[in-house]
Amino acid sequence: MPHFFSNKRLIILLVSIIILVALIGFSMKKRESLTLPEQFLKDTAGLTQTIFYKPANSIAGFFENLAEMKQLYKENQMLKARLDEYAKLYVQYEEVKKTNKTLKAQLDKEEDLTDFKVREATVIGRSPDQWNQFIYINKGEKDGIKPKMAVISPQGFIGKVTNVSLFQSTVQLISDNDRTNRFSAIVQGEKNIFGTIEGYDPKRQALLFKKIPVDAKIKKGQKVITSGLGDVFPPNLLIGEVIEIEPDEVGLTQTAYLKPSADLYDLSHVMVLEREMPAVGESLKEKEEE
Amino acid sequence: MKKILLPFLIYLAFISESSLMQALLPHENSMEWQFIPRFSMIMILFIAMFVNSTYGLVYGLGFGLLTDLLYTDIIGVYLFSMAATAYVTSVISRYLFGNLIVALLLSIVGVSILEFTVYGLNSLIGISNQMIDMFLYKRLLPTLILNGFFALLIYYPYVKQLNLLKDTIKEN
Repeated sequence: MPHFFSNKRLIILLVSIIILVALIGFSMKKRESLTLPEQFLKDTAGLTQTIFYKPANSIAGFFENLAEMKQLYKENQMLKARLDEYAKLYVQYEEVKKTNKTLKAQLDKEEDLTDFKVREATVIGRSPDQWNQFIYINKGEKDGIKPKMAVISPQGFIGKVTNVSLFQSTVQLISDNDRTNRFSAIVQGEKNIFGTIEGYDPKRQALLFKKIPVDAKIKKGQKVITSGLGDVFPPNLLIGEVIEIEPDEVGLTQTAYLKPSADLYDLSHVMVLEREMPAVGESLKEKEEE
Repeated sequence: MKKILLPFLIYLAFISESSLMQALLPHENSMEWQFIPRFSMIMILFIAMFVNSTYGLVYGLGFGLLTDLLYTDIIGVYLFSMAATAYVTSVISRYLFGNLIVALLLSIVGVSILEFTVYGLNSLIGISNQMIDMFLYKRLLPTLILNGFFALLIYYPYVKQLNLLKDTIKEN
């Protein structure tokens, strides 16, 4: 092929590789906000996606219903059994809530770290290549969504908001392998055991829960929740369940594999959480300004 | 009007990738098989094959940049891979006769080139940690099947449109 690698083309190829490396280097820095053209593009695409997702969802829903019909009877019986349990739990919950309220009133404590504001959103699209685990939701800056807010599905914690444009925003799921996508979490038990969630193992289909102290004893089936220590996410959001534990390569820490409690592939409605209590750093800053 | 039609069609295919991923494919994907829709790439590959390499290159650059901005966090990976894939495919197609079988074969080759380049670049940056054997069986194979079907589906109506476009280019 004489045309393929002539001198001129070779130079163009080399120049384009240099540009590629420069672009990747530029965009690997974490940027807080998007540039205006980017926002415009994202909004336009978001608008087209909203037109698309409704018919697509209804077709998918039809097939899902057909599949679900088979299991309906069994599920109904199980739910009936659960209902009795629920009534009992509800009475207990009300009582605990009441005592909590009175105790708080005695302490003059109104704001709580666990308070948060909830905004509901619909998922309008998903990053088609599975390398990047992003979903797109139909709420944006106009609805008060800001970067770094936690996002949950009814089953549990799924990720955080990374980019916000006017009418839509991007959510990075916990299964994304980006090196900045890390969360501090705790294993629920008698004693809190801390660690960080660092990415996803595609072979085991499990989240990696690393940096657990080597002497900590963790059992299979224990629940893992967000710690709330990072000043960003509310605490006590369910992340997943431990399915396997093994020592680290070096042997100084342990790594646990978590089965995510939310189905990260089948998301349609999500909730965006905003912490009501200002984080410590922010309130300090405000005081300094005063 | 006719000038807008082609970019608009590719844009629709491009958006439908994300909707399809969200609505129709999640269940298959949770069962380890990864069907990745590359519909816009297929349409650009057809342009590169049936119109000329410059058109393919320009569309590859445009939609590559769009993919980077909208669907990923890093600018440059798809910009480079999609443009390069479109160009290489058009170079190969010069030596082959353009019929259905050849077009299908070339679009499958094109999608594999794209998948390999993106996989390589992403492994380099550290976004993907998939092993090569898993990549080949669980990802590449289902992806090629899905996109082969798509190419088969659009071949006749789409190539007709492209031939019309080629004629108008020649007239000018």
